[in-house]
Amino acid sequence: MAQTIAIPGQLLGPSSKYVAGPGTHIHEANLYSSVLGTVTVVQPEKKNVPGPAKRLTKIAGLPSSSAQLPTISVSRTGISEKREVLPEVGNVVLCRVTRIQPRQATVAILVVGDTVLEAEWQGVIRPQDVRATEKDKVKIYESFRPGDIVRAQVISLGDQASYYLATASNDLGVIMATSEAGNVMYPVSWKEYRDPETGINENRKVAKPF
Amino acid sequence: MADRRRINGPVGATTPPIFDKPAAPAAAKTRDAIRKIFLKTGITPSASGSAYLELENPNPKRPGNTSLKLSCTVHGPRALPRSAPFSPHIILTTHVKYAPFATRQRRGYLRDSSERDLGVHLETALRGAIIADRWPKSGVDIIVTVVEGDQDRDSPESQKDDEGWDMMNVLSGCITVASAAIADAGIDCVDTVAGGVAALVCKDDKTAPTIVMDPIVAEHGSILAACCVAYLPTRDEITNMWFKGRLPGADMMVYDKLMEKSLVACRCANRVIVQELNETVRKGQGIS
Amino acid sequence: MSSTSQHLLLSPAELAYLHGSLSLITPGPIRPDGRSPTQFRPLTAETGILPGTNGSARICFADGTEAVVGVKAEVEKTPVSPYEFVASTEGRKDHTVTSTPQKKIRKSKKAPAATEGGEDEIAMEVDEDEEAAAAAALDKVRGSPDWVELSVEIPGLRDDDSGTIFLTSMLTEALLADGEFVKKLWINRRFHWKIYLDIILISPPLSYPLPLLSLTTHLALLATRLPRLKSEADEDPMFDDDWAAATFLYPRQDTSSGKAASSKSSKQTSTAAAAPPASRPPITLLVMAVGDNIIFDPSKEELAVADSAVAVSVAEGPSSESEPESESISATTTKRNLHLLSVRTIDPPSRLTPPGVPNSVNASAWGTMTAATAASAAAPASASASEAAAKHPDARVTETEDVVGVWKAPRGGAKFAMLGAMVAKVLERGGVAEEVLDGLEGVDLG
Repeated sequence: MAQTIAIPGQLLGPSSKYVAGPGTHIHEANLYSSVLGTVTVVQPEKKNVPGPAKRLTKIAGLPSSSAQLPTISVSRTGISEKREVLPEVGNVVLCRVTRIQPRQATVAILVVGDTVLEAEWQGVIRPQDVRATEKDKVKIYESFRPGDIVRAQVISLGDQASYYLATASNDLGVIMATSEAGNVMYPVSWKEYRDPETGINENRKVAKPF
Repeated sequence: MADRRRINGPVGATTPPIFDKPAAPAAAKTRDAIRKIFLKTGITPSASGSAYLELENPNPKRPGNTSLKLSCTVHGPRALPRSAPFSPHIILTTHVKYAPFATRQRRGYLRDSSERDLGVHLETALRGAIIADRWPKSGVDIIVTVVEGDQDRDSPESQKDDEGWDMMNVLSGCITVASAAIADAGIDCVDTVAGGVAALVCKDDKTAPTIVMDPIVAEHGSILAACCVAYLPTRDEITNMWFKGRLPGADMMVYDKLMEKSLVACRCANRVIVQELNETVRKGQGIS
Repeated sequence: MSSTSQHLLLSPAELAYLHGSLSLITPGPIRPDGRSPTQFRPLTAETGILPGTNGSARICFADGTEAVVGVKAEVEKTPVSPYEFVASTEGRKDHTVTSTPQKKIRKSKKAPAATEGGEDEIAMEVDEDEEAAAAAALDKVRGSPDWVELSVEIPGLRDDDSGTIFLTSMLTEALLADGEFVKKLWINRRFHWKIYLDIILISPPLSYPLPLLSLTTHLALLATRLPRLKSEADEDPMFDDDWAAATFLYPRQDTSSGKAASSKSSKQTSTAAAAPPASRPPITLLVMAVGDNIIFDPSKEELAVADSAVAVSVAEGPSSESEPESESISATTTKRNLHLLSVRTIDPPSRLTPPGVPNSVNASAWGTMTAATAASAAAPASASASEAAAKHPDARVTETEDVVGVWKAPRGGAKFAMLGAMVAKVLERGGVAEEVLDGLEGVDLG
């Protein structure tokens, strides 16, 4: 299918007709492309209510008129596989635990969404972000071990060095773990992995298998 | 002090050839266009983005003649070093380095002050074009290598102390090639920035000075003033400007004309970038 | 990182306020220290503070920044290039020296190694006309950019920091741009003065130090004196030991100096000591634009909200330039003959300031959340969450229109007309550059 090519600085349309998506920017009430790629226009879903919101007590903002407008974005898919992506707040990432300390677990972020990263970004999981309940009883060494692969969500840009990640959800947590004996383990409960050969259980914050 | 970590070339053993009579400088063609530009993106596979730029050699037959050849690589965006403070923006680092053989005078491996100066100019030009807040906490390195420095090797030797006018041409090339490489790397920009040079030249003392675009330093008797501009065509904005020289008479008139001419040169260069980037996308679609 | 980007502790709200007050149009910009847009910060200046130099100056701004400049001169042998013969094509407008050389230097084009063994001249057979042309070419007062060495030292920055190098090359460029300065360093065909300019910022760089360094350099050069030459023509130079007889590098108008380039002394002032020199060293001014306003000598806080910043170097030439129109103007207005030497844009630190967040996209202010965060927050348990997030990896960066009162670091560059207006404002008659030169004229050169 023939797609419209956009180069940086190319006029895409007035900002009153479209919502700025990724790869675009607004300048003097007009939308311009900001990366090299192809233009995609996504029509808004008719139903603006995305299911039951989690926090029902939240006061909704003013109903924005922009929700009805189509989103225009410029993507680099197909041009180059090497699309560098930054972890964003809200993204689900896969990471490897590199180091554990009583106050935090340090991880290296490897995958953001479906994109395998070229560069390695550092993240930390603090004890209060490990699970949603009984936060005060969390012990880092009972939740992660170096080498574990963890699915987590980005909750903040963090400090100069690390993104802040959280595993406070059922589907987030350790998804792959090796035992102290060096065997790949399988999850047996929401907080335990078991070594198939030695039969020893080890504590982890286990992600709910699909 | 000699750099002992590397094997340097012989010291003082390479004197340039001295010609009995220097070849007559090529007649300055009254071009009302810039030299032809060859631009190609994606030449360095290991980099996030890269580009190569070459200017047409005006006299390809003559042996000592060179033109401008630049290669640019963009590395990143990548994580900042741990010691760096928090930055809500992308941190841009620009390096401009002449290859040791790029100019008449051999260049060392360490960057000298003119190379650092060019780096600052390039950084200013690019920082205005990049949307820096799209990439918080990250850094990008932009490295331009000057393979050939646009210095005519058998130009009149009286121009040995050519007051660095060729630096302007190099800078404008650096801006153009870096702009293409950044777009190739997928870093958000407001526009494709392009560089252009215009100069006030005069053949000799008698003739009135004229303004030319993209001056070939060796072709003109003397350059009175020159100006290098980095320009965003769709926004009609200038991100970097570098003017130096002496202007005769009523200053602002000539100055404004010089600026306008260099903007025309920028637009010409920009057309090359746009064409090459379109080509890049089409090629990418053909493969996938 | 350039030296303009020093850490500045201003919040986005403060930046927005400052930008708003500086871009006001009806009463003009309101600056934090109450100055008018063209007003400079008060400064104290003195010259002749370093007895071991040929000229020196110190300037102290009221905010505590202080710079010292020392000028040292040495006699250096001019290297004779084997290409001197073909140098006659050089198209410079030069002043010819009145003295006629006693002997013509004969150099063979076939013997490029002639300078070896301390011998400067080798008499060989040369064609008569070629020799004459060469002699004519050699008679011209010429200068080389190598004759000036300028170094800038800023505390806390490395010597090879790109910011320092940028300052150095900007100040050097202003000195060398018109080629007039180096001609003053010509002694004879074989010797020249080599000038070392050492610029030291004593205080930590509280604001962008360019204007301070440039003004101090200007004063130091004005105060620079070179020993009086006693030898003639191409002899080895001999100088007068009497320092009182030393001549100023930039000669006063009333003192008849052998090195004065301009013979025309248009105005004789009664006070001999305070007479301004015919031409003046360059000054570099920092100009910035906020909105449509042009502001001179910005402080650090003002620079943090600049839309664009430009350094403009101007010099005052002798009013006896051969252009009739400039002469007529200077005759009627008795004003300075300013010309532009160099212009450079400076990367304004405003591009690195943290942006503010408008309420409309701020989740904590009950703004609308972006598509991806909403989707992933609503259905975190499903696999579609990661897909939705992956589809919009940039979704956090919500692009918004400019909102009044919410700071956004400037993007893009400056308009062509704005840059032109900034330069014109420096050069205009009765403008800021003249004002600064007038002010510096009052400094006693000792």
